[in-house]
Amino acid sequence: MGAKISIPVRRIDAKEKAGGWTKYIGDYQFKNLQHGRFLRSERARAKIIEIKKPDFPEGYYYIDASDIPSSGKNNIQMIKDDWRVFAVSDVKYIGETIAVILGPDKQKVLDLLNQIEVIYEDLVPAFTFDDALSCKGGAVYGDNNIFSEYLLNVGNVDNAFKDAVKIVEGKYETGFQEHLYMETQGLVGAWEDEKITIYASSQCPFYIRKSVAVTLGVPVGDIRVRQTTTGGAFGGKEHFPDVIATPLAVAVNKVKKPVAMIYDRIEDISFTSKRHPSKITIKTGLDKNNNIIAMDIDTLVNGGAYESSTTIVLQRAILHGIGVYNIPNARIRGRAVATNTFPSDAYRGFGAPQGLFAIEMHMSHVADELGLDSSDFRRKHFIKTNDITITNAKMHDEVKLPEMFAKIDEMSDYSSRVKKYTDDPVKGIGIAFVNHGGGFTGNGEQAIIKGVVKMKRLEGGKAGLYVSVVEMGQGLQTTMRKIAAKELGLDYEDIVYDNPDTDIVPDSGPTCASRSIMVVGFLVQECAKKLKAKWNEGVGVEAEDVYKHPDELIWEQETLQGDAYPSYGWGINVVEVEFDPVTYEVKTTGIWAVWDIGVAIDEIIMQGQSSGGVIQALGYASIEKCELKNGAFMQHTMADYTIPTSLDFPKVETCFIDNPYKYGPSGAKGAGELVFDAAPPAYAEAVQNAIGKRIYDIPVTPEMIMGALK
Amino acid sequence: MVDSYRPKDLKDALSIRAEYNPQPLAGGTDLMVRYQSWSGTLPLFTKSVMFVGHLKEMKYIKKEAKDKTVTLVIGGTATLTDVANNPDTPEVLKKAVLSIAAPALRNNATLTGNICNASPAGDSICALYALDAVIVIEKNGGSREVPIMEFITGPGRTVLGSDELVTAIKIPLKASSVNDFTKVGTRRANALSKLSFTGVADYKNGRIDSIALTFGAVGPTVVRSVELEKKLIGLSGSELKARIPKVIDDYSTVIVPIDDQRSTAVYRKKVALNLLEKYLKELSSHE
Ligand SMILES: Cc1cc2nc3c(=O)[nH]c(=O)nc-3n(C[C@H](O)[C@H](O)[C@H](O)COP(=O)(O)OP(=O)(O)OC[C@H]3O[C@@H](n4cnc5c(N)ncnc54)[C@H](O)[C@@H]3O)c2cc1C
Repeated sequence: MGAKISIPVRRIDAKEKAGGWTKYIGDYQFKNLQHGRFLRSERARAKIIEIKKPDFPEGYYYIDASDIPSSGKNNIQMIKDDWRVFAVSDVKYIGETIAVILGPDKQKVLDLLNQIEVIYEDLVPAFTFDDALSCKGGAVYGDNNIFSEYLLNVGNVDNAFKDAVKIVEGKYETGFQEHLYMETQGLVGAWEDEKITIYASSQCPFYIRKSVAVTLGVPVGDIRVRQTTTGGAFGGKEHFPDVIATPLAVAVNKVKKPVAMIYDRIEDISFTSKRHPSKITIKTGLDKNNNIIAMDIDTLVNGGAYESSTTIVLQRAILHGIGVYNIPNARIRGRAVATNTFPSDAYRGFGAPQGLFAIEMHMSHVADELGLDSSDFRRKHFIKTNDITITNAKMHDEVKLPEMFAKIDEMSDYSSRVKKYTDDPVKGIGIAFVNHGGGFTGNGEQAIIKGVVKMKRLEGGKAGLYVSVVEMGQGLQTTMRKIAAKELGLDYEDIVYDNPDTDIVPDSGPTCASRSIMVVGFLVQECAKKLKAKWNEGVGVEAEDVYKHPDELIWEQETLQGDAYPSYGWGINVVEVEFDPVTYEVKTTGIWAVWDIGVAIDEIIMQGQSSGGVIQALGYASIEKCELKNGAFMQHTMADYTIPTSLDFPKVETCFIDNPYKYGPSGAKGAGELVFDAAPPAYAEAVQNAIGKRIYDIPVTPEMIMGALK
Repeated sequence: MVDSYRPKDLKDALSIRAEYNPQPLAGGTDLMVRYQSWSGTLPLFTKSVMFVGHLKEMKYIKKEAKDKTVTLVIGGTATLTDVANNPDTPEVLKKAVLSIAAPALRNNATLTGNICNASPAGDSICALYALDAVIVIEKNGGSREVPIMEFITGPGRTVLGSDELVTAIKIPLKASSVNDFTKVGTRRANALSKLSFTGVADYKNGRIDSIALTFGAVGPTVVRSVELEKKLIGLSGSELKARIPKVIDDYSTVIVPIDDQRSTAVYRKKVALNLLEKYLKELSSHE
């Protein structure tokens, strides 16, 4: 860790947040504020026969699809626009928005809501992958319930399987995961200066602007979105705020008063998107020297009732489907299915954790089947620079996995412990190797986003930074300032960077896909250089920079061929556990992480990402059970949907290996999602070694361990 | 419309309770959650409420000696923190209380509230069943004492009359050399129980003189079988050891848990019996 920019500074928002002074959406004061609450579907799949409403007193409103202006449409323009703003005539999942009830007094709004009676005629719902594939109850989407399907292929898989002397197969499943950001979903829509302004706890103000404009049928410039300080998001505030903002905007457009839609916690857990569940089957063919010569993978993800961003999640799951390995003949079939569950959406990792869990567990199982050391076996198959990837392109990154393994081995004593625990009845240690593509898939940064950043010289030797990416706890308000300040030779506190307002900042794209530092940060660096060159022209001088895709990267979007990502972050985790044979509970006794994220813009902020990402992933792997009962999430309180506390896991021992990337600011690459990817398979392998039985699914609960030991 | 009352002392509280039958609210950590509504609106209480947590007469923990028995008397508004900090609190109760939620909650929640809430997963209840706790109940012009096993009649149900208050919990302090309280929660802290187990026992002259075995969250109320315990009285350690498989068999018929959002029936039963087996092995090696 040598770069000067990595030296930590005090986070710009630390004092304000730790002191409790920061204003979140629920703290804003609006004159004449109205409170909105959704009438939601209580059925997973049904026709709406009738909605019986009480008389609404003056000042109280029932807003539904009939209130959408004729120029607009009842669709939420996300990546796809199939998700309806309001359900009309039928419902497709529990929690689907039917109407907004609003008025000045919350209790009256609640009383009115409770008096509404929706008469349904139930239809047969589909919840599971099997239900979806067999079109139980008739297709939820299209004529086959397949939102999207891809086939990736490298080499000749069928021929290679003919030469295989041994074949190993496994089926891997992962469940829903709730984001459980500290601040629940919350937006306020206001009628200001004859136009709609949305104040939003969100990751992507321009996404909200676009979706609201499409729903109301007005130009995007007629909508203003102001991000309010966001208390955590993890992908949950990437697209989902659009699902609240669109009906909210319809309501504000009608009543011309400010309306708040702020979720309570139980409402938030029950009725927001979760991580896509997955089911992945992998078949591997080996030659007589125990080399993998062929791999055939079938990937399914459950998108729920509407597609929204599911296809892109599926892409990421399959683009990371063979992990960090060089497999000469590989094929991945990927399908995203429709069911009557709450639509799944973005969650830190965006499909990659599902694909990587499956491949890592499978590699471990193949090694076990061959009687080989699981880490040796995987290391032998590591992809190297210039090897061919699953999308038939060269791996451009300098792959430092061997060096990283040496480091983590030294830190965790992995190699000797793995031997020591072989015959230990309760202890186990596991390892996982991952990479994560930074930025949008393929040429998406160019074709879809084309981010713009702006800077300006201000009074008093300060500079203004205008970007649309947001602080949501990950430290961006600090790291972006450091990037700009370095080029301008200013103190990072002299950079002015406010929460984005779509009337002020250019569209530099959403805060997602591990792109903020790598992609937008690079634009900030280049823009700051331009501003520096013009600095002496005086106060008010501006500079701008626009994204340009590196010429050497090629991409074919329809077939997903070429350079899938501009660059990758790389990581290794080791997890050590001990299990209790009386209660089947697992205690984690050690966690180690080594990351190649190019260069850390701030080492303490990156330590925070590493600890937070790893622990969040360990929750996913161990205790975050989220089951459906007739289409509703069973664990919908914080008492039942448990995430780790500080007593559940020890400190994450983290180390960074520098590997500067030429198109990243000071060499930085994407890091925010990478840190989630490795812990689940490392944990599951550790448990597997402790109990002496293979693990195929997460979360690995004590109940599941008991079952495995029977 | 519901009313709220804030009595100035216990006497006042008992009169209000007799006249209006309001629901007592001590720390409110169960009630405020049970009746929560949209944030910014009032909780949805179905009955009037009487605050009792501030009543000083019941905020004590003391020891009483009578004949040869010493009893720990925990006042009706003593908090879980008070109970955990008291040096005379039996080990299993202390452990049970410290397994509940987190310090901030324990500073506010009362032991009485945990008992009166009568949840099968109430952690203190599992220990109190094993300790033969007695509930002291008062009303205007009268009082009675009811063993905890009779006080709780079902999930959320007790024998408390609508004019009565719980004013104390009495725990006979008996010799007990082998003690265990284990809670299996959904995580390591601030977790609700999937199940819990308490075992207390003592030997006299090499033979089991007293024993109590209780199981939480594996039935509609905490499970304790005095009958099965009686069969163990008088056994030596080695006799107990030989009997363990039989004892496990016996208990497997009285532990009948259910599946819910926290765990499964099979897991609860198996782990309850595992904990019992572990405890009995430990006990048998002690004589
Ligand atoms: C975040 C959280 C975590 C929790 N974790 C746990 C846990 O791990 N284990 C566990 O067992 N519980 C847990 N609880 C439940 C709760 O904290 C306990 O049951 C608590 O002890 C109740 O005490 P209280 O004083 O707050 O009761 P209150 O909520 O005030 O009352 C509970 C009941 O007792 C009655 N009551 C109170 N005082 C009297 C009296 N003097 N006479 C007659 N009736 C009375 C009330 O009418 C009500 O029915 C948790 C609760 C929360 C919110």
